[in-house]
Amino acid sequence: MGNSLKNKVAIVTGSGRGIGRGIALLFAEEGAKVVINDIGGSVEGTGTSSSPANDVVNEIKQNGGEAVANYDSVATMEGGENIIRTALDTFGKLDIVVTVAGILRDRMLFNMTEQEWDDVIAVHLKGTFSICKPASVLFRQQKGGRIITFSSISGLYGNSGQANYGAAKDGIAGFTRAAARDLGKYGVTVNSISPGANSRMTSTVPQSSRDLRAASGMGMESQSAGPIPLELNRDPDDVAPMVAWLASDESADVNGNIFHCAGGQISLMNNPTEERTLRKKGRWTVEEIDAMFPGTLGMDMVNPSPKQPPKK
Amino acid sequence: MANYLDGKVAIVTGAGRGIGAGVAKALASEGAKVIVNDIGATLDGDGTSNSPAEQVVDEIKSSGGEAMPNYTDISTMKGGEGLVQSAVDSYGQLDIVVTVAGILRDRMLFNMTEEEWDDVIRVHLKGTFTVCKHAAILYRQQKSGRIITFASESGLFGNPGQPNYAAAKADIAGFTKVAAKDVGRYGATANAICPRANTRMMQSVPDTARELRANRPKDREVAPPMTEMHPDDIAPFVAYLASDKASNVNGQTFLVYGGTITKLSLPRRTRTIFKQGRWSLDELNEMAPEHLTKGLVNPAPSQQSN
Repeated sequence: MGNSLKNKVAIVTGSGRGIGRGIALLFAEEGAKVVINDIGGSVEGTGTSSSPANDVVNEIKQNGGEAVANYDSVATMEGGENIIRTALDTFGKLDIVVTVAGILRDRMLFNMTEQEWDDVIAVHLKGTFSICKPASVLFRQQKGGRIITFSSISGLYGNSGQANYGAAKDGIAGFTRAAARDLGKYGVTVNSISPGANSRMTSTVPQSSRDLRAASGMGMESQSAGPIPLELNRDPDDVAPMVAWLASDESADVNGNIFHCAGGQISLMNNPTEERTLRKKGRWTVEEIDAMFPGTLGMDMVNPSPKQPPKK
Repeated sequence: MANYLDGKVAIVTGAGRGIGAGVAKALASEGAKVIVNDIGATLDGDGTSNSPAEQVVDEIKSSGGEAMPNYTDISTMKGGEGLVQSAVDSYGQLDIVVTVAGILRDRMLFNMTEEEWDDVIRVHLKGTFTVCKHAAILYRQQKSGRIITFASESGLFGNPGQPNYAAAKADIAGFTKVAAKDVGRYGATANAICPRANTRMMQSVPDTARELRANRPKDREVAPPMTEMHPDDIAPFVAYLASDKASNVNGQTFLVYGGTITKLSLPRRTRTIFKQGRWSLDELNEMAPEHLTKGLVNPAPSQQSN
């Protein structure tokens, strides 16, 4: 039991289970008062239940911590504002927002329905905006605050069958970079976590997708990073310490970054870098590009999903 | 005028003006039949007009090319499906989709309305999905096809005052990487372009935002002046990606402006701290500043001490 978040008030969305729950428990242990937000839905986002959030609140209280439950959906602006209001009404202020809430609806692009697309974008992306926007109004006034969002390796590298999730998660990374630049001057920081953990959500990924990803070298960046093994023993609770550190006063000048956390491994991710460049004075013609590209930009370029021979 | 795209049929969204118009004309001049899609709205997405799309079609036809205007709103599934259908109805096939359509509604996060957020996400992101999904169904069947989306450095690096646009554009980058994996095995490709160009959209960026952006840390190459970056400079590389010559270029992101074409890397793990089992906060307090975050530049440092 430490006190690096003593007297802080935190909101953790999606904290009824998995990674969010681990963060909420650690925050409370470190002295923060925590709003446990969870709609209590299934992984696909259907149904509601108050018990996941209530269970975590009870656990925190039994350990001598302070917490309150909230069951609002993050996918609407009203929901986001209600969650903020719960923090203010119960604990009188707000210092930290952590947006973990998310759902999965994997489907290959050509089979994905509008509903599967919309629901995933609504919970992840709108669900990050709906709470960060009203929080940013407070943080700007009080000249301080922490926002920690959740992006994903899926967005950063792209997993097959997750066009909706990959888009949403990369969108959150983009949102984080812009929000960091909007809020930094007010003493606020905005960072993002790309978690690697075996949770209820990842356990829904079908074996066929796992095989596909393994075959294509999931998270392939062979030169510098090496593939990130899918089945490492990575407890969802392992993500919490880095989130708590980013939420603490110790990290006051760490802003606009993405950290990948998996098990005992914590990595700083860089932004995309300019790898190879072709340059000429004036406009290219297609013929010129055709002549130059294969031996320059196209050299050693790996197709992440090469054409498959027809099945026998 | 060459024939890199002879016999191909292409859709270009947002092709009534700017970068999209340049792409449509370049594809046509390489021999493609082009559906010129533009709702003809203002920059912030209001109103509709047929004339921008019609003008580009007229230009293509007077240069001896083939094109059809289309005014569908691509931000609905019906619109995306109808647009793909119109290519099949008009020209019997579809080989290339280029999604350029976009709007801007810049606002600092703390002042951004729900509508400003939703509209930008809808046009950019949903508008990319609606067209690409229906194209992907065809591509999978015909075992070929091209998707070329438009992302932005704003999403990959972050600009102040654009949380909606940065999210939408990073979304598109993420979407494209997944789409590449989903359609690649069927012989199709999906790649993303981050353009820099002096367009109607860029001219709407307020001077205050320009100043903020100019003051950001100098960790990136200094860009040439905006006026030297013509929107038509983006088109030749898009035409190359759309051609059979680029059949194995898949899942990549390219920065394109003026005479420059750059392949961007995926984000990489640049520094890692590692231990067996879970970190404690005390350990992180000691290790993180020394090994994980040392020397990191805050892109917008706190100004409260002034």
